[in-house]
Amino acid sequence: MSSAPDALATRATGDQRNHRDARHDRWFRWLLMCCALLVLASLLGAAGATLWGGRHAFATFGWHFLVSSEWDPGNDVYGALVPVYGTIATSLIALIIAVPVSFGIALYLSEVAPPWLRTPVASAIELLAGIPSIIYGMWGLFIFAPFFSEHIKPWLTSYLGDSPDDGKVSWLAAHVPFVGKLFASNYPFGASVLTAGIVLAIMIIPFISSVMREVFQTVPTRLKESAYALGSSTWEVMWDIVLPYTRSAVIGGVFLGLGRALGETMAVTFVLGNAMDLSASLLDPGASIASTIANQFSEAVGLQKSTLMALAFLLFVVTFVVLLIARLMLAQLKKREGV
Amino acid sequence: MNTLYLRRRITNWVALSLSVLATLIGLGFLAWILFETLRQGISALDLKLFTKITAYGSDGGLANAMVGSLIINFIGIAIATPIGVLAGTWLAEYANRTKLGETIRFLNDILLSAPSIVMGLFVYTIVVLPSTTLTNGNTTFSGFAGGVALALIALPVIVRTTDEMLRLVPSTLREAALSLGVPQWKLTLQILIRAARSGIITGVLLALARISGETAPLLFTAFGNNFMVFSPMSKMASLPQIIYQYANDPGDAMHALAWAGAFVVTMFVLLLSLASRLVLSRNKVSHD
Amino acid sequence: MTESAAAGLHPQPAASPEAVAPTKIQVNDLHFYYNGFHALKGISMAIPEKKVTAIIGPSGCGKSTLLRIFNRIYAIYPKLEARGEVILDGENVLDSKYSMNRLRSKVGMVFQKPVPFPMTIFENVAYGIRHHEKLSRADMDVRVEKALRDAALWDEVKDKLKQNALGLSGGQQQRLCIARAIALRPEVLLLDEPTSALDPIATGRIEQLVEELKSQFTIVIVTHNMQQAARCSDLTAFMYMGELIEFDGTEKIFTKPSKKQTEDYITGRFG
Repeated sequence: MSSAPDALATRATGDQRNHRDARHDRWFRWLLMCCALLVLASLLGAAGATLWGGRHAFATFGWHFLVSSEWDPGNDVYGALVPVYGTIATSLIALIIAVPVSFGIALYLSEVAPPWLRTPVASAIELLAGIPSIIYGMWGLFIFAPFFSEHIKPWLTSYLGDSPDDGKVSWLAAHVPFVGKLFASNYPFGASVLTAGIVLAIMIIPFISSVMREVFQTVPTRLKESAYALGSSTWEVMWDIVLPYTRSAVIGGVFLGLGRALGETMAVTFVLGNAMDLSASLLDPGASIASTIANQFSEAVGLQKSTLMALAFLLFVVTFVVLLIARLMLAQLKKREGV
Repeated sequence: MNTLYLRRRITNWVALSLSVLATLIGLGFLAWILFETLRQGISALDLKLFTKITAYGSDGGLANAMVGSLIINFIGIAIATPIGVLAGTWLAEYANRTKLGETIRFLNDILLSAPSIVMGLFVYTIVVLPSTTLTNGNTTFSGFAGGVALALIALPVIVRTTDEMLRLVPSTLREAALSLGVPQWKLTLQILIRAARSGIITGVLLALARISGETAPLLFTAFGNNFMVFSPMSKMASLPQIIYQYANDPGDAMHALAWAGAFVVTMFVLLLSLASRLVLSRNKVSHD
Repeated sequence: MTESAAAGLHPQPAASPEAVAPTKIQVNDLHFYYNGFHALKGISMAIPEKKVTAIIGPSGCGKSTLLRIFNRIYAIYPKLEARGEVILDGENVLDSKYSMNRLRSKVGMVFQKPVPFPMTIFENVAYGIRHHEKLSRADMDVRVEKALRDAALWDEVKDKLKQNALGLSGGQQQRLCIARAIALRPEVLLLDEPTSALDPIATGRIEQLVEELKSQFTIVIVTHNMQQAARCSDLTAFMYMGELIEFDGTEKIFTKPSKKQTEDYITGRFG
């Protein structure tokens, strides 16, 4: 044992060190928290900056901004309807295509594929998610849009549209309202709302399918096994057991894809055609919020610039809400897993 | 009874066939996109891509854009890595299961998929506009502003992987270090982050892969430049931005250059994601 | 040492040779709560210096909890609360003024699973020392070697001190953790089921090591393995449902326990 003064000395330095450590720990904790708060700050900042930048547009056009389809830089009059419609239309088309395909892929990867094939196929699909969006844009512009206008568009106009090249209006176009208008062809290009929707769909398929696959894997094996033991088929297990069990997370995955689609810029800008006119036909070019900003912001001044900022604010708020719903839905499953 | 059985079997068969079809569609598009990028890109590959700058237009190369991309990406990662690692550490070590921590973790997941073009406009507002005012109205787009925009895209990726990787570190390691009287900041920096190192590196590589292809946030921040510049305070070209510009040009020679750029970016991104997988799998082995 | 400790108000080993040793840790009416759950109910005991004290009992009885109070490692988690006194060399370590640094350098701990730090073997041992003392390279080498020798690991690792500690076997890792703990020259060594993750041969070596170390340290070992307690401890405490049922010389506990519950547990009637 140490002698008394020695022990006192050790105690003193020990206590000093203790104070110093406590102080350093406090500083460290503060530093870390400030870094974490930057995440919050960048979200608030993005919303604040675009709202502030768009204040002139909001003040000038008021609520009318949202419903006006005018876009006239000559007279400095702008309405958000065309890009808002384009954003929603392309994203919805993307979802309509991507959701069933993603579900199919997730089903294949979790129940159908032989085990040795699952990892390579899943990695390949994830690779699709890693390709930069500008590559999708390039491919869409140079490869897919020409292919679309040559092979798919004529077929769509002659079977579904109300202004086919051969003059024969199809039964569907004649009897079902809106269908003819949706698939009317007024321009001879490949760039269109539908093309953009399809390219977007390809982009978000890997996101949605990987979320679906992940949540399907959380279904307890005993649940599936007991269903199989009752003689259920693979499809019945998927549809009656797995899907209801994971419903909220699956919806979350779909919303996650929607959030991506709404905010995507490059893949859309290349194949949407940048037309600031409202058209009922999905085969006509259009504009989305992101593509309008990408195309016009550099040259815009004054009110036009403010309008683009205001559009960015709208886009940010809408994607935030969509992603919020997505994360809440996904969190529900996690909560149940925790129990 | 028999018809019911038959119908169930047919439904099952149809559904499973459709799932195979869906997978083939996904893989088909992947193959199509990669094939075209490779085909068009390789046929446009040329030494002048790496030696000449974009000022020569269709006779030029992409050298300044490649250098610009490297600089801007480096700035982005250099900003996002320390902040992201520390923020992720806070979430995992200090704020796990607290209300503020859960909220920030949740918001970080949202930031992960926030529209990148809005992030570009945000940085335009906070970096480009103020410096424009300071320099009497010369619009000061810069490589640095581009780097900041990319840092905002990279940040949530790094925060999330750091958070997840640190939460995988067994709590016994914390107890063991604390039982030696080591203060928490030392434990965190010297032991926990080291234990989660390969996971964190994976996150940084993934973030780099993610920002390497980003175009939208650079349009109004780094803007572009036809000449070779190294100063982060000047306008700067980047590969994605040149691809965007050239692809919208009517000339075929420009399209070839755009494809070559697309090829380079795609290869870079794919190699990075491959590298990140390798780092992670090596980590798994060493833990056994 | 406090008066109450000597007064024999609390369960004390009966007149066996072990009881003659001075008390190192005096526990007085210790209660522990987590999330409102009353996990320890008024524990009082005197742990003698330079002896091996084993704590046994069925899982969930609070034996590990008790051990984790001795160096206040529980305090890193929120919502845990200890009430009462744990007096180490005359001072209550539960007092918030008691320096955590001093406590942790006086009381070392080894955990259930070996947890080497992700660094070299040498650094694993040197890491803790570095925080408490500034040593020259040569002094550090001596200290590390001494700790590794004391932990009976030196001969196995002396040629690979610069290698990553994760490359060692489980038993070696656990002895490295013991070396790491004793390198700080603590006075008390807490072992929390140190062999539960090890094979019988590695377990044997650790038990032998405990025997060797007791000349230098006061050792408290928590174990679910009754044979282990019988083999390597001088005193044994039996705990059940958060209470200390019986605390006495190991031989007495295992041959003629005075409480019915202890006898039931030892003869395998429950737990």
